Amino acid sequence: MSTTPLTPAPAGRVSVPAGPASPTPGHGTADRTARTSVSRRPVPVTVWVAGAFAVLLVIASFAPGLLATADPRAIDLDAPLAPPGVDHWFGTDQSGRDLYSRIVHGTGSSLLIGLGATGVGVGLAVVLGSWAALGGRWADAIIGRGIEVLFAFPILLLAMVFIAVYGPSVQTLILAVGLGIAPGYARMVRAQVMSVRRSGYVQAARALGHHPARILTRHVLPNALRPLLAVLTLGIGQSIVWASGLAFLGFGVAPPSPEWGALLEAGRPYITAAWWLEIIPGLAVLATALTATVLGRHVESTLEGDRS
Amino acid sequence: MSTPPSPSAPGLRTTPRTPRLPGPRTTGLAVLTATTLVLSACAAGPGTGPDADPEQAALTGAAGAGPVQGGVIEYGHLQEPNCIFGGWIQENFTARQVLDNLVSHTEDGSVVPWIATGWEVSEDGRAWTLRLREDVTFTDGTALDAEAVAYNFDYWLDGGNGTAAAHLGGFYDHSEVLDEHTVRIHLSAPFSPFLSTISQSYFGLQSPTALQTRTDEENCTEPIGSGPFTVKDWKRGEYIEFERNDDYDWAPQNARHQGPAHVAGIRWNIVPDNTSRYGSLLSGEMDAIGEVPAVNIAQARQDYDFTQYITPGRPVVMSLNTQRGIFTDQQVRQALSLATDREANVASAFLGTVPFEPSGYLSQTTPDYDEEAAAEYPFDLHRANELLDRAGWTGRDPDGTRTKDGRRLQALVVYGLNSIITPDGNTVIQNFQEQARAAGFDLVLRPGTPSEFFGGAFSTPESYDAQVGYWTSPHAGILNINYRPSTEEAPNGANTTFLDQARVFETIQSALQAPTPEEVTERFSQAQHELSELAPAIGLYTQTNTLAVGGDVTGLWLDPAQGGPVFHDAHFTSQDARDASGTLTPDTADTPDTADSADAPAESED
Amino acid sequence: MSLSTRHPGPSPSTPPPVHPASASVSHPAAARDRPPRGNRPSPAAVALVVGHKALGAVFVVWAAATLTFLIQALLPGDRATLLLNQQTGQVQERTPEELAPVNEAFGFDEPLIVQYLDFLGGLLRGDLGISYTLYQPVTTVIGDQIAPTVVLTFTALAIAWALAVVLLVLTARRTPWVSRIFSGLESAAAALPQYWLGIILLVVFALWLGIFPVVSGSGAAGLVLPALTLGIPLAGFLAQVMRTEFERTLDAPFVLTARARGMSDGGVRLRHVLRHSLLPGLSLTGWAVGAQFSAAVIAENVFARPGLGRVLVTAVNGRDLPVVCGVVMLVAVIYVITNLVVDTAYILVDPRLKEAA
Repeated sequence: MSTTPLTPAPAGRVSVPAGPASPTPGHGTADRTARTSVSRRPVPVTVWVAGAFAVLLVIASFAPGLLATADPRAIDLDAPLAPPGVDHWFGTDQSGRDLYSRIVHGTGSSLLIGLGATGVGVGLAVVLGSWAALGGRWADAIIGRGIEVLFAFPILLLAMVFIAVYGPSVQTLILAVGLGIAPGYARMVRAQVMSVRRSGYVQAARALGHHPARILTRHVLPNALRPLLAVLTLGIGQSIVWASGLAFLGFGVAPPSPEWGALLEAGRPYITAAWWLEIIPGLAVLATALTATVLGRHVESTLEGDRS
Repeated sequence: MSTPPSPSAPGLRTTPRTPRLPGPRTTGLAVLTATTLVLSACAAGPGTGPDADPEQAALTGAAGAGPVQGGVIEYGHLQEPNCIFGGWIQENFTARQVLDNLVSHTEDGSVVPWIATGWEVSEDGRAWTLRLREDVTFTDGTALDAEAVAYNFDYWLDGGNGTAAAHLGGFYDHSEVLDEHTVRIHLSAPFSPFLSTISQSYFGLQSPTALQTRTDEENCTEPIGSGPFTVKDWKRGEYIEFERNDDYDWAPQNARHQGPAHVAGIRWNIVPDNTSRYGSLLSGEMDAIGEVPAVNIAQARQDYDFTQYITPGRPVVMSLNTQRGIFTDQQVRQALSLATDREANVASAFLGTVPFEPSGYLSQTTPDYDEEAAAEYPFDLHRANELLDRAGWTGRDPDGTRTKDGRRLQALVVYGLNSIITPDGNTVIQNFQEQARAAGFDLVLRPGTPSEFFGGAFSTPESYDAQVGYWTSPHAGILNINYRPSTEEAPNGANTTFLDQARVFETIQSALQAPTPEEVTERFSQAQHELSELAPAIGLYTQTNTLAVGGDVTGLWLDPAQGGPVFHDAHFTSQDARDASGTLTPDTADTPDTADSADAPAESED
Repeated sequence: MSLSTRHPGPSPSTPPPVHPASASVSHPAAARDRPPRGNRPSPAAVALVVGHKALGAVFVVWAAATLTFLIQALLPGDRATLLLNQQTGQVQERTPEELAPVNEAFGFDEPLIVQYLDFLGGLLRGDLGISYTLYQPVTTVIGDQIAPTVVLTFTALAIAWALAVVLLVLTARRTPWVSRIFSGLESAAAALPQYWLGIILLVVFALWLGIFPVVSGSGAAGLVLPALTLGIPLAGFLAQVMRTEFERTLDAPFVLTARARGMSDGGVRLRHVLRHSLLPGLSLTGWAVGAQFSAAVIAENVFARPGLGRVLVTAVNGRDLPVVCGVVMLVAVIYVITNLVVDTAYILVDPRLKEAA
């Protein structure tokens, strides 16, 4: 199961927050205004390409019919496993369904898993991480251990629980993957919140007698979470990859859904006879993850550029 | 070898053989017909008898020298058993190498002597007297005698083997030892497929001493039988090693030779990934593989000695819940049976490699299969629509699904994906779902995890509308397992359609108790017609076992009772191939169980 | 990504209060490349921190085992039914008469708390119980399978490190397009679905080219492809993490000083810059080890390798509670040990982290 891609993503990127986390003069005053300024550097070609692909993904998610007119469920028993060609750009699958159409129509649920799982993971992480950082010694100890336990725990078991309760669906995958990635993010949030808490402007707000809740929502969280923005975009791609790993273990979305993880799993037995069924959905996952990475890095460097 | 005349000549060859093509991998080309049960071309003909197949002799290298002895066959298998012997089909396959049965099933459906040399049934059909060979010993040195057989019957029925109990439970009464080599099995009611039933490896004979004195773990991983091989080593997740039993001299009458196995051993590799398993045959890492993926079968037929076995019993069918939901209405069940082009569906999903099975009750290789009853539901969308209209499903939702009183014509179809249904089968189910939309059905597919399925999450009438599954059995008595109505006193969990029809049940009972084979066939035909009218199940495709063997090895065949590979007659085709094969893991601190081979004669032939 | 606008690293006077295992280590530079300032931790302090962490580690293992036990015991579906159905390959309801002996044999009819106390008692005695389906002691099941998994995991780690370090030293902050291409390759590697990569490696290198065996088994030649399957995505992550640090350090004052002293570019990269960028990679490794154990199941399946991943999946599917608990605890133990080592190393390297620890 692809635990690796997921967890390292947040951890790996913690060196990013490390920059802003070390308060520099003027950082405190930057507070929430820095976000609004615009980067003055030219935007690299890769970002344009990624942006264009992202637009395609959005169209495919909300109006797949614009990109692919064929019915993704329509079978053709006379043409199973047809190779890519004029009639079927990406070939057909074992039921004679148009693979291009299936990939386009599967974009929505795949992205939903990516976004939803990242959302669930980050939501949990913000609550747990802030609580650990601000709730005192005991809260920190207990939540810290809880996070450790989740790290050491096979996500497969969690996935099983959710499937038993909800059946194999997009929602189930969102919950399972979201819980799987939460500990990584929670650690980062905790570290960020702790560092921001000690910064000058928070101390100042305290000295001014502001309400703790106000300090948390107006000062601590915005500053603590901004560096995570870049990490989040990376997480989206990783969540899709992760969901496909669960599909491999038999915990994917029920057929005939064209969710990408399900397509990858369904194409696996045909790798030697019909390579397109495995290779093309894999490339779609890869391209989406890369797009998210490139855009995420661009956002990150833009933010940093503004700050210096 | 002293065996009484058998009702059939063993080793009937049913496949034409084409001239051998050049190339090291090509030993023969097995052309298969869809409806016959087929044995491997290379497996045909006893190699040692006076009428030995000349081609067979040619294969062994030097004429008259006999088959090459020694070497270890590398065999690649899909699923790993939990134990060597048990009620799961995978355990049936491994048990076949290690344990012997009382009788053996042949490819024409008859039963021939094995450990039992002869038998007779009483007038009332309730007592089977079996005469046993006198020279058989288990590999722990104890004798396989009447006491041992009686002990095994009690063991199987009393929790030793769940599948054995499913077959004979309700019929078996007790065993009586008449003398050292004669045993009488008393039944509570006549049971015509008795011999056929006990030919399955679920009824493999084990040493009572071993069963009584050893731990569960030992009996699980190294059962003591009298078979052609013993378990040498089992590296879970990697392979099981079987070592030749050098004392073996009691092969079934339909074996290709008598005496010990030709090869020194088998390494039964567990290769779950389809691409890897077929790839390991291509690369020569495996001498033979089972479960050839459908996409590779066409090539396997060209390049390898390919055998396909169509399992008898219940084929892969969609069982419809007759107790709850839309399928309580017989017309709706019939409509769904007619609504899709199942034949084209199966041909497409399996690329023409696996036969379509029109019958929802028995597969076409089962004795007493009724072709006429099976063919009662051809693809007829018009009739399906008529039936649904008549049943009152006349409304339509925007997505085309029929409605009646605000209810949608919707059904939850559950199946154990990868544990029971293969990926190709999953394709059949999806095609079926899509085609059924045309008639206004909305089938919701729900592949379940093994934990859910085996845990009973989809076993009650409340939990599904339709369920896809199969059950191999060498005879039509499977109908009794699948269609005996569940009662308070005797619940029947195997009745997955929850059909409660006394008339059908009585017909099945009369078939089981019919005195002559003709009457058995007639009653089973009647039962199939009655079931077909009620339409509680829809046939999809036959459950098949496949075997592809490379050019270095020959003589493998598939056991006609259950379709598992039999290695007793297998041997390498040349000394070179033998010498190139691997060896079994050397002995470490050996357990007493396998030490009996120490006094066996050395492999002088080598 | 261009880092020219980054600040040249934090000043030593502002300790970043980030948890050590979360890889925020742009600072040990300060502790290691400047003269010691006499604030090395006392052995007693280190012992205290390590002892505290060891206690925490025990807690994590216990909690993981307990959680596993509860999930397995409370999941819908009857365990005795599951065992009976698995034994026959059927999926039917079972009668109370059929279930009674199974419940009796495995103690499923005991109250849950009694089952749990039995389980804990067994743990204290080092007895993990007997597998429901294999009839073997769990310690035997795990003992037989642990070696292939450990070998695979650590080989994959070694491959990941080798790939990441070589890529980094050769390509970081070269001409913009070289850096960008390789940084893109790293992202791509990190975004690879492992089983997709595995099946492609299998088809290309084992089936087409025939360089490696198709069925890996537990032999040495069969180790390469599974290890690459796990190692390449991990290399992508490692390189990503370390590249950020590497490029940041290239701008650090002490690097400029070293260059000014006439050190060659290669020397600077290898002797100074690489050392610093290793640290975030190291902490990533800490829990990549735990994660790799779960990821191993994919490689084990595709390449037909024995190992704990396969054992875990089979046991989870069969609800073989003792085996599942045993494997989860083992993974937890390996995870906490690795992190103890990493954390301890960090504390020794940078005393300021004591505070955060």
